[in-house]
Amino acid sequence: MGLDRRAFIGLVAGGAVGTLFTPIPWKLADDAAIWTQNWPWIPRVPRGEVTYAATASKLCPSGTGLKVALAGGKPIMAYGNPEHPLSQGGVSPIGASEVYMLYSPARVRTPMRKSGGKFEPITWEQAQTELMAKCKAAGNKVACISGDVGGTAGEVLSAFLAKAGSAAMYAMPSEAGPAAAGFKLMGGQGRVGFDIDNADCVLILGSDIFEGSGVSVRNRKAFCATRPLGKDQTAKYAYAGPVRNHTGAVCDAWIPVASSHLGALALGIAWHLLKAGATAGAADMADFKKLVETEYTPDKVAKLTGVDPEILASVAKNLASAKAPLVIPGSEMSQGTGPGAFIAGMSLNLLLGRLNKPGGVVALPELPAVFPGAETPSEILARDLPGFLKSVGEGKTAAPEVLFVYAANPAYGLPESGAMAAALEKIPFKVSFASFMDETAAMCDLILPNSLTLERYDDVVTPYGAAFCSMTLVKPLVAPIFDTKTTADFILDTAKKMNLALGHDSLEKALKEKAAVLAKSEGFVAKEAMPWEVLAGKAAPAFDPAGLWKGLEAGLAWVKVGMVAQTGLSFAAKVLAAQKPATAELSLAGMAPQRVGTSATGLPAQCLTAIPDTDLKAGASIVRLNAATAKKYGLSQGSSLTLSGAGASCPAKAYISENVMTGVVAVPLGFGHTAFDAFSKGKGDNFLKIMTASVEDGTDMTVWAGSEVKIA
Amino acid sequence: MSAAHQEFATKWGLVVDIDKCTGCGACMVACQTENNIAPEQDASNKLRTLTWMNVYELKNGKEFPQAEVAFLPRPCMQCGNPSCVPVCPVVATDKNEDGGIVSQIYPRCIGCRYCMAACPYHSRYFGWFDPVWPEGMEKTITPFTSTRPRGVVEKCHFCHHRWNQAKDAARIAGKDPNNLPDGAYTPACVEVCPTGAMAFGDLKNPKHKVYELSRSKYAFRLLERLNTDPQVYYMTKRDWVRRQGDNYLPNEKA
Repeated sequence: MGLDRRAFIGLVAGGAVGTLFTPIPWKLADDAAIWTQNWPWIPRVPRGEVTYAATASKLCPSGTGLKVALAGGKPIMAYGNPEHPLSQGGVSPIGASEVYMLYSPARVRTPMRKSGGKFEPITWEQAQTELMAKCKAAGNKVACISGDVGGTAGEVLSAFLAKAGSAAMYAMPSEAGPAAAGFKLMGGQGRVGFDIDNADCVLILGSDIFEGSGVSVRNRKAFCATRPLGKDQTAKYAYAGPVRNHTGAVCDAWIPVASSHLGALALGIAWHLLKAGATAGAADMADFKKLVETEYTPDKVAKLTGVDPEILASVAKNLASAKAPLVIPGSEMSQGTGPGAFIAGMSLNLLLGRLNKPGGVVALPELPAVFPGAETPSEILARDLPGFLKSVGEGKTAAPEVLFVYAANPAYGLPESGAMAAALEKIPFKVSFASFMDETAAMCDLILPNSLTLERYDDVVTPYGAAFCSMTLVKPLVAPIFDTKTTADFILDTAKKMNLALGHDSLEKALKEKAAVLAKSEGFVAKEAMPWEVLAGKAAPAFDPAGLWKGLEAGLAWVKVGMVAQTGLSFAAKVLAAQKPATAELSLAGMAPQRVGTSATGLPAQCLTAIPDTDLKAGASIVRLNAATAKKYGLSQGSSLTLSGAGASCPAKAYISENVMTGVVAVPLGFGHTAFDAFSKGKGDNFLKIMTASVEDGTDMTVWAGSEVKIA
Repeated sequence: MSAAHQEFATKWGLVVDIDKCTGCGACMVACQTENNIAPEQDASNKLRTLTWMNVYELKNGKEFPQAEVAFLPRPCMQCGNPSCVPVCPVVATDKNEDGGIVSQIYPRCIGCRYCMAACPYHSRYFGWFDPVWPEGMEKTITPFTSTRPRGVVEKCHFCHHRWNQAKDAARIAGKDPNNLPDGAYTPACVEVCPTGAMAFGDLKNPKHKVYELSRSKYAFRLLERLNTDPQVYYMTKRDWVRRQGDNYLPNEKA
C-alpha cells in the first residue's frame, strides 16, 4: 500500500493532534518559560554551605567585632558579632565593608616601585633589598605616620623606629590625640575612656560619639540601652556643637555653639558649678576658680558663644543634679580640636567628681607591650602630626630621609591638605604600606601592600573612648587574594635581616605572646558579664588564663576594668588661662559620618547609595547653611558657591538646613579623592584643604576645627 | 492577585523607633550586600539607585534654633492591602503566604512598573541597568537572594530567606517552624542597626516584642488613612515627626 496524499495529511494531522495528548508541547513550553528565566549575562549566586567565622574590623575605627558569613569557605558578608562588647551585633558601614573591600578596584595588588613617575611591579625581595638599603643610609632619620597605633602592629613599627634610633612616630589625627596630650598636660596618668553605659546625664561637647568618634558602635549600643523600646528613657543626652549632626539628632537637646568655642562653653558651665560650690582636690583649684570667675562669666560666655546664659545655667543644673553625669569633649568632625578644649571639657568632670567613677571618666592603664622599645599609644598620640609636617614644609624642621606610611593617608586626611602633601614631597624616600591606592601611596616611592583585615593576623586594642581595656584578635579567614603581606610580618623580617631583630618572628607569635601576657594581668573574657556591668559593680566572671587564646580565636574579647589612680591631677589652669577663643564671621563645621569611609579606605563601594543627594549630587559637594547665613551671603537652595580658606578653595552647592547654626557652613568630609577608584574619584571636594592649621594658645598644638572660611 | 485585605495567622512586622535612629545608613548597606544589589559608581541620582531600605531625613520645618531633624528608615511596608498587587498584570507580586510578606517574583516581572506607580511609599525600584560588580567582587554575592537583570522591579522582602533559615533551624531542633520564638527571624537591617532602633517579629504573637510596641500610643504607620494596613510601624514621642506620617490638615490631630 502506497502513501497517498490523503493518508499523508491524515498522518501529519493525526500526529499533530496526537502530540497534544503527550507531555511534549507542554514540556517544551515549560522549558521555554524556564529558559527565559535564565539570565546568563549576570553573575550567579554561589553554592556551598553558609558558615560563620569571627574576627574584628581594622578598617573601622570603632573596632567592632565581626561575624563574617562565608559561602563555600569564601567570605560573602560581614555583620556585627553579637558576643563582642564593642559590637553587640551592631556594625558600622565601614565594618560591613570588610568583605567586599577585599575586591575593591583600588587595592594594590603587588609591591610596586615608582620609576620615571610611574609604578612598576616588583617582587617582595627586590622591595625589601631597596628598603633595607634606604633605611641603612638614613640611620635614625626615619619617621612613620600611622593610622593604627593602638595595636600590636603599631608596636612593631614603633619598636623598629626605636631600634633605628628614631622617635618620629606620628598618629593620624583623631580625638585620641588631643585627649592624650590634654590629659598629659593635666598631669594625668593612663588613657581616658568614657563610661557612657553607666551615665545618666551626658553632655557631649562637639564629639560625634555616634559616628566618627572612638567606639561609636559601642556608644550607640549604650545610648540604646538607656532608651528601651516602648519604655521611658533612663539617661539624658545633650549635644553642643555647630551642627545638629547624627549624634545631635537623637540627643534630647542641642546647644548650638561654634567648634572653636566649645572650651569656652565648658568653662561657662564650670562658672555655674563653681558658684554652686563645686570643687576638686587639684593643686591649681584656686587658679582655675579665679580664671573662670573672671573670664568666663555668663555674660562674657554668652557674648562670645551666643549661648543664652539661662541655657548655660540649666545645663549646669542638670549635670549637678544627676547621679552620674558625664562630659565628653571632642569635635563634630572627630578631629581638629586641641588639648586646651579637651582640658576645658574635662574640668567639668573634675568639678563633678566624675573621675574613675562608674558612669564617669575612667583612666585606663596602658597594656604591656610585647616589643621592647615600643612607645605607648599615648606617647605617640600626644604628638602633633600636622604641626610636624607644616614645619617640614616651611623648612623649619629637617625632613626625615625615609618615611613609612601605615594605615594612613596624610596627603588627603590632614588640614591644609595641599600644603601637607607638598611637605611630604620633601621627604626623599617614602614607603606606603597601603592596601588601597590612596593619595599618599600615589606619591610614594615604594608601595608594599598590606593584606586586608580578613587576610591577616592583627589585633584591636582598647580603641579610643572605651571605658575598659580590651584586646580582640583579628585572624585570617582567607589567604591573601593578591600578592600582599602583613606589614608587621614584613617589618619583623626586614628588621631581622638588618640585625635589628625585634624579638618575634611573626605577628601571630607576638599576638600569642601578648595573649599570654594579658592572661597574667587582671581581666576576663567578655561573655557572661560585660565590662560596663563590672564597672557598675557586678562581679567579674571567673577567668581561665589557659583558655584565653582559644576564646580570642572564637572572636571573644579580653577585657579589663582598670582605673589608674591619679596623683597630682590638675586643671592645667595655666593652659586654660592662655586660651584665646578665636572668633570668625563665618566658620566651618565638618560632617564625617562613617558611610564615607576613612581617609585610608576611600568611599566604600556599597556605601555610595547610603550617601544622600543632599551631601553629594552629580559629582558636586553640597554644603549646609541656615537661611539666615544664606541670606547674608546672597545664597539660596542650590546656589553655587566657592568656599575658600588656608589659601585654597572648594566649589560647592548650597543646601539650606536649619540644623546648622548661624555663621557656620557645614561641609561633608570624605569626598574629593584624586586616587583610589571610580567609586571614590571625581566626587565632590576635600574640604580639609580649606581648613586652616593654626596653633592653639597655651598648648602649641595644631587645631583646625571651626576654622574661618570665606564665601566667594 | 487581590485588592482585598489579606490576613494570615503570622504577620511579620517591623517597628522602627525614629527617636533612636541616627541616620548612619548601616541598614541600607547591610540590605544591599545581603540581597545582592550591585554597587553603583554614581549613586547620587536617586532615581536610578536601588535602595530597598532607604533612610529619609525629616525636618520639623522650623527656623534655627528651633529646627529639629529625624531619620526615617523605609523598607517595603508589606501592606495588608497592598496597592501594588492588584495592578500587576502578570502576578509577579502577590500577598499569598502566611507571614504576610508581599512577594516579588523577578522572572515573572515584565517591567511595566505599574506597581511602582501604585505604591504610595516609593518602596519599589526598577533595575535600569544590569548589575555589575567590580572584577572579583562578584565573589561576595550571597546565596540568599537571586540576582536580577535590568528591566525588572525589585523590593524589600523582609529578608525572606532568613525566615526559611529560621524555619529550617526550628525543624532541625525539633521545634515548631510555624511558631518561631522572638528573635529567631530577623532581617539584616534589624540585625546590624547600631542603635537597636528597629524591632522585628510577629505582630500577632504576644510573646514577640513588636506585639506590644505596635500597640504603643507612640506607634503609627505611614499614610495610614489610605487603608493599606502596613506591617511596618514607626514610633516617636515627637509630635512633629508623627504628623509627617500622613497628610494632615493644619488643625487636624495626628
